[in-house]
Amino acid sequence: MTTTTTSTDTLPDDFGHAFIRGVHEHLGGAADPLGDLDRRAGDGDFGTNVRTALKHAAENIETDKPSTYRQWGTTMYMGWLAVGGTSGPLFGMFFRDLAKAADDDGEPTLAQFAEALAAGQATIQKYGEAKVGDKTMVDALDPAVTALHTAVEAGTPPGEALATAEKAAVEAAQATAETTARRGRASYVGDVAKGVIDPGAAAMALVIGAARAAVDGAEVDAAWIG
Amino acid sequence: MRRSIVNDPEDLIPEALEGLMLSHPLMLDLHEEHRFITRRKPATDKVGLVSGGGSGHEPLHAGFVGTGMLDVAVAGAVFASPTALQVLEATKAADAGRGVVQIVKNYTGDVLNFRIAGEISGDDAVRTEMVLVDDDLATDTGGEDGPGRRGTAATVIVEKLCGAAAEAGASLEDVAAIGRRAASRARTMSLALSAGTHPGDTEPQFTLEDDEVELGVGIHGERGRERVPFRDADGLTELLLEPLRAELDLHRGDEVLAIVNGLGGTYPLELNLVARSLHHHLADAGVAIQRSLVGSYVTSLDMHGISITLMPLDDEQARLWDAPVRTPALTW
Repeated sequence: MTTTTTSTDTLPDDFGHAFIRGVHEHLGGAADPLGDLDRRAGDGDFGTNVRTALKHAAENIETDKPSTYRQWGTTMYMGWLAVGGTSGPLFGMFFRDLAKAADDDGEPTLAQFAEALAAGQATIQKYGEAKVGDKTMVDALDPAVTALHTAVEAGTPPGEALATAEKAAVEAAQATAETTARRGRASYVGDVAKGVIDPGAAAMALVIGAARAAVDGAEVDAAWIG
Repeated sequence: MRRSIVNDPEDLIPEALEGLMLSHPLMLDLHEEHRFITRRKPATDKVGLVSGGGSGHEPLHAGFVGTGMLDVAVAGAVFASPTALQVLEATKAADAGRGVVQIVKNYTGDVLNFRIAGEISGDDAVRTEMVLVDDDLATDTGGEDGPGRRGTAATVIVEKLCGAAAEAGASLEDVAAIGRRAASRARTMSLALSAGTHPGDTEPQFTLEDDEVELGVGIHGERGRERVPFRDADGLTELLLEPLRAELDLHRGDEVLAIVNGLGGTYPLELNLVARSLHHHLADAGVAIQRSLVGSYVTSLDMHGISITLMPLDDEQARLWDAPVRTPALTW
């Protein structure tokens, strides 16, 4: 007998653990190319910020010994809040909303995760004052939130739903190369950033990829970042 | 070329905080991990006061931790906001159960990290109110868009008045209201004869010709609003005073609090000349300086420059200003 899962089912056991480990692996693995993008289209500190955030998050894992989804998420958001610049606090508050997707114990449902992702977008936009199209992390997040919401409404199984969201985020991140920044890191360098993918948007696409991989176990492609 | 008295510039802030704490062993304590200074004996049963921001403005903020003023001051790197995590821990450390007023200079990074810390500290049932200080007249563009006026020397007034009110037992809302009222009424103008130099750097942040003055500078080595011809102390004082008088709409019979502030590389004799000139100018206009502070309180590394802050003063504010204070940088 085969079983199917839908958006009202909880995500797999240990989703939080796999998701946050995946963020470490994929974001950490891309820190160098993300830093290169930021040197071409920002102030150059994003690679360092990613490494610093993940270092603090890893220390939090050592200290706090997380066991639930919420605790895993908390190690990540507190790691980012220990980082300066604007990306530190914004990613921190984004991961804080993601961590709130589930109660103190247990994994979230896909619908709860989708809602948390939308809340994270609202928080980033509240604090960062960026709109869609401003060449920031919001550009990748917005279509992913929409795609995930649509998939939840349609009752799409989690792996497939998150894959749709990831695809939307990656395509939107790649498209930031063609836009001119109005907020955030690249707004200071103007047209110099033309042709360069926004590293915040690229990082956001990897985060959503890590969530998808935590469900279906397949690889996260980061080659497009450079 | 400039030189600085530093060890490894990377260690400048923790080493300086340690030095401050060691110099005031009965008054201050240092939280090393999150780089904030607290009172040695934390206050109980009062509203907590936390402030902070980038370093390089000493004695602001850590020099104002003590009875009658701040409970906690958190330090970022030179001219860079402390992280949200630092501010969060500092805010929680300031709470004695009656809520915390965060006094924040209006800079994007500081405002972002204090807002976030305020939101998250709510998870631990710490109530917070933010008082934004935005007194710098040179950055008053009048529009709703943009970051607004910068926060500079009026921060000392806000920290002093809020500190006195909190010490006297005022509620969270009342302390915040007193701070907001002071911030809304105080304005500052600044000028520089030379810019500051980052510790470890050999060149200042900008250079001026011998006959130039940078008018409308901030406290982070930003370029000013305009360059004007150099002149004597009375003339320089007038340069700062005139826009302040116009903005504050000062009239005969008004009473003000004045801060004549050095920006880090200004010596006390120069400040006294400016204070003298300010008194004479305002006396001629029938405006009385009821209270004043003359010294280097909000600096920009070793910038050679001055700022003048004026705030119309009412009786309640005068009482709060006069209340006892005991901190490394301000005591009476």
